[in-house]
Amino acid sequence: MNEDRSEFLKGTLDMLILKVVALGPIHGYAIAQRIRQISKDFFQLQQGSLYPALHRLEDRGWLRADWKESGTGRDAKFYSLTAKGRKQLESEMRTWGKLADAVALILRTAE
Amino acid sequence: MHWLRRWFHKSRAEKQLDSELQFHFEQQVADNIDAGMPPDEARRRARIEFGGLDQVKEECHEAQRGYFVETLVQDIRYGLRILRKSPAFTAAAVVTLALGIGANTAIFSMVDTLMIRPLPVRNPHELTFLSFPRDASHFDPGFSDPEFRQVRDQTRGVFSDVSAMILGGLGGLSGPTGRSDGLTVDAITRPAQTLFVTGDFFQMLGIRPYLGRFILPSEGNAPGGDPVVVLSYRYWKRRFHEDPGIINKAAFINGRPVTIVGIAPKDFLGPTPIVEMEAYLPLGVMTVETGGNAAFLTDAGSRDMLIVARLAPGVSIERANAALAPLGQQLIKQYPRPGVGTALQAKPLRPPGLVDGPNPLPALAGLFLTLSGLVLALACLNVANLSLVRAAGRRREMAVRAALGGSRARLVRHLLSETILVALFGAAAGMVAGTLALRALSSAVTVTELPLVFEFPFNARVFLYALSIAVLAAAIVGIVPALRASTGNLSDILHEGGRSSTSRSQRTRTALVAAQVGGSLALLIVAGLFVRSMRSAQDSDLGFDPRNVLNVTLDPGEIGYTQTQGVEFYSQILTRVRALPGVQSASLATAVPLDNFPSEEIAIPGYVAQRGELLRADYDAVSPDYFKTMKIAVLRGRDFLGSDTESSPRVALINEAMAERFWHGADPIGRNFKRNGDAQHAIEIIGVVRNSRTEDPYSPYGPAFYVPVAQSYTPAQTLQIRTAGLPQMIAPEVLAVLRGLAPSAPVLGVRTMSDVVTNGPDGLLIFNLGAELTAALGFLGLTLAVVGIYGVMAYAVGQRTQEIGVRIALGAQRTSILWMISRQGLAIVGLGLALGLLIAIGVGRLVGEFLVGIGPTDPLTYVTVSVLLSIIALAACYVPAHRAMRVDPMVALRHE
Repeated sequence: MNEDRSEFLKGTLDMLILKVVALGPIHGYAIAQRIRQISKDFFQLQQGSLYPALHRLEDRGWLRADWKESGTGRDAKFYSLTAKGRKQLESEMRTWGKLADAVALILRTAE
Repeated sequence: MHWLRRWFHKSRAEKQLDSELQFHFEQQVADNIDAGMPPDEARRRARIEFGGLDQVKEECHEAQRGYFVETLVQDIRYGLRILRKSPAFTAAAVVTLALGIGANTAIFSMVDTLMIRPLPVRNPHELTFLSFPRDASHFDPGFSDPEFRQVRDQTRGVFSDVSAMILGGLGGLSGPTGRSDGLTVDAITRPAQTLFVTGDFFQMLGIRPYLGRFILPSEGNAPGGDPVVVLSYRYWKRRFHEDPGIINKAAFINGRPVTIVGIAPKDFLGPTPIVEMEAYLPLGVMTVETGGNAAFLTDAGSRDMLIVARLAPGVSIERANAALAPLGQQLIKQYPRPGVGTALQAKPLRPPGLVDGPNPLPALAGLFLTLSGLVLALACLNVANLSLVRAAGRRREMAVRAALGGSRARLVRHLLSETILVALFGAAAGMVAGTLALRALSSAVTVTELPLVFEFPFNARVFLYALSIAVLAAAIVGIVPALRASTGNLSDILHEGGRSSTSRSQRTRTALVAAQVGGSLALLIVAGLFVRSMRSAQDSDLGFDPRNVLNVTLDPGEIGYTQTQGVEFYSQILTRVRALPGVQSASLATAVPLDNFPSEEIAIPGYVAQRGELLRADYDAVSPDYFKTMKIAVLRGRDFLGSDTESSPRVALINEAMAERFWHGADPIGRNFKRNGDAQHAIEIIGVVRNSRTEDPYSPYGPAFYVPVAQSYTPAQTLQIRTAGLPQMIAPEVLAVLRGLAPSAPVLGVRTMSDVVTNGPDGLLIFNLGAELTAALGFLGLTLAVVGIYGVMAYAVGQRTQEIGVRIALGAQRTSILWMISRQGLAIVGLGLALGLLIAIGVGRLVGEFLVGIGPTDPLTYVTVSVLLSIIALAACYVPAHRAMRVDPMVALRHE
């Protein structure tokens, strides 16, 4: 059961990352911060989950990475969405929407 | 260069990941400071939250595709490096495994050739041969020509092709000669093993000739017509050195003109896997053997034809048998056969071919595969022991690696990859060694009169087999040490200091070596059983005396002598040879015991055969003095005389077994019987001789009779000469006599009778081979066991050097040290002996049916082998123990 949940969460995590990156080029730390802020501290990403996910997404061709100046004097790796990535995001959001509707239906009528 | 760039990229990717994570860390620290923490606190907090850096990096790495392959390559490179660092271990392990895998590869090659490899023809699984069943394991595969024609005409629905063949040297009506025919080309005559086939034989096989053409379906129907010959590739290579000019060359078979029209494909030996057919001729040309007599084509009584048929497409063998059943009944009614059922059957023509009687090959194959499996087990045990010792030495390294974050799976994979590399090297070396050993074996087999092809080529199946047992060996050897090494508790191991052997691992090693001793004992016992069996077969009472007898096989028929000429020829030879100095007696015989002894159907007036009972007896056509030359006692009546000729009444001598079986102790002299080869004449019994071996040295005596060669002439006969001294010495003079009489007559063989008994294929050849093979395996096993014992003992002494030094310094006697160390050795040997005896008894059951004269639990063999092995094993223990005794305490105590 834990396996399923972590797989499920992994998939959801991918989607959230893609969504955040869709808004513009952004580096890893900032992604973690933004997700934490927007979800009101619900999703607190550790780098142990974040970076493997980022590398996986990059490896699959959904994210593109460039090294740019970060403004802190140190270069950082900025990620941006590729066209493939955009399509993937849209598909996953559709699936998520259907899933949410289905769950809601059951919860409502199964009372 | 590509891999170089990838490696470069890889380290660059790692550097980038480092940077990325470093950046993340510093941002975290910055945020902590902004939130109000003092800088030190900020860093500390960030570090805690950051967690295991290496683990993160590892997981990032894992997330990428190609991770598995990358790590596999890494593991292999790492494994190679480690193996190179300890060359002694690698060499020992590879050689040991090579021995085990090589033995198995060799045995499997033999099994593959004899039993598995299909005939090199089109769709070999569709080929069948026909026979009438006699009882559960015997059958009668011979048919007459009228029967063959009926079968062919009435089975068109189930068989697409039906052809027949007769093995050359069987001579049809003139009786089996067991000799091959002579092929004369350019005035040189050499024997050739012939096969006479119907015209559609090659068409049925669906193969293409290497050169020239095959026999056509239209050829061979008329007796004596279409005298064409197809040679086998090997015979063509051996005798004519692949000369393409041989095609359409004029030649002679037994003096009759033929034309060579084609060469069969390279790997085609004929319908059986080991015996090579050297010349194929149309059936009608068999008149070259019968002297023009074509009765074999019409006579319903001569059943020398073997029928091979190809199933029609889509027809199963069951359906064919259903169609054959009514045909079989019809045939039996028309042409009765005594003692045979009516269910005509088709059986698959698979290797080993048409073997009448219970097939010994599966049992033999099973036995030798088991024995070589045992050798492999011993080799694995040896390598496992070596690995354990080595793994024990590396436990600290492993424990530290595990603590630093290497996953357990990765660690196990590391160790396994080393083992697999060793196993693969061992497999490669083993395949080479096994193939070479087989080649040596093939060339060592004595040439017999039948052209046996003892070649066991290395093919894909053998390669796969070798590979799979290599993997199996790797698994057996590698799993336990790898699992053990990867579960060490770090602090325990680091505190152990230099000594890293626990009593548990020591006991495992002892058990392993004891198992080796046991396995080795079992192998040696089996070898011992075979050797004793061979002795016993050699010493078994043959009924004749093979010593000091020379056999010279001649065949004037090969140069076209008629019967009259042949009789004169032989008579002259006998006279002249008898006059030579040193010759005690000389005689002629058509068949020599233990060398293709023929048998024939007989009819006894007043005797009715039971169902399944064979009215058949071994027989021989001999000249007067045969029994004197072979020293077979004539118990009653008289020997043949010069007066028993072609025109006088037919006479015969029978052996005790025949007298007992058919006349039950009543005096058979004066009675008569008939034999199939001479059905017109009644044969009167004029004497009884002692039983003597005919087909092999150990089967129980069966009925046998002897007729005068003057009344049953065949061109091929063996001149047998009993000499006062060594029989070989007389050979040159005999050959000189021959050349004086008929310079062009070929000599088919010159052999001593003792040699026939010891090395003939019907003699002790199988026993010899069996004894040699098992002895080789036994010796391998012994070597492995001795190495194992020595290794364990030496290691144990090395481990306990400190302890020994302390004891000696504290005043212990040297001899008590010796005893202390030896105790372990004795335990190994004792345990091993017990285990070995159990295994031997188990394996003995497989061996039982091949033994002659002794049982599989022969006490003498068991005791002798056990004692010998114990002595050797104890010697192997003693050497290191002796060294322990001589330990200098000052040196030992300083040794870490």
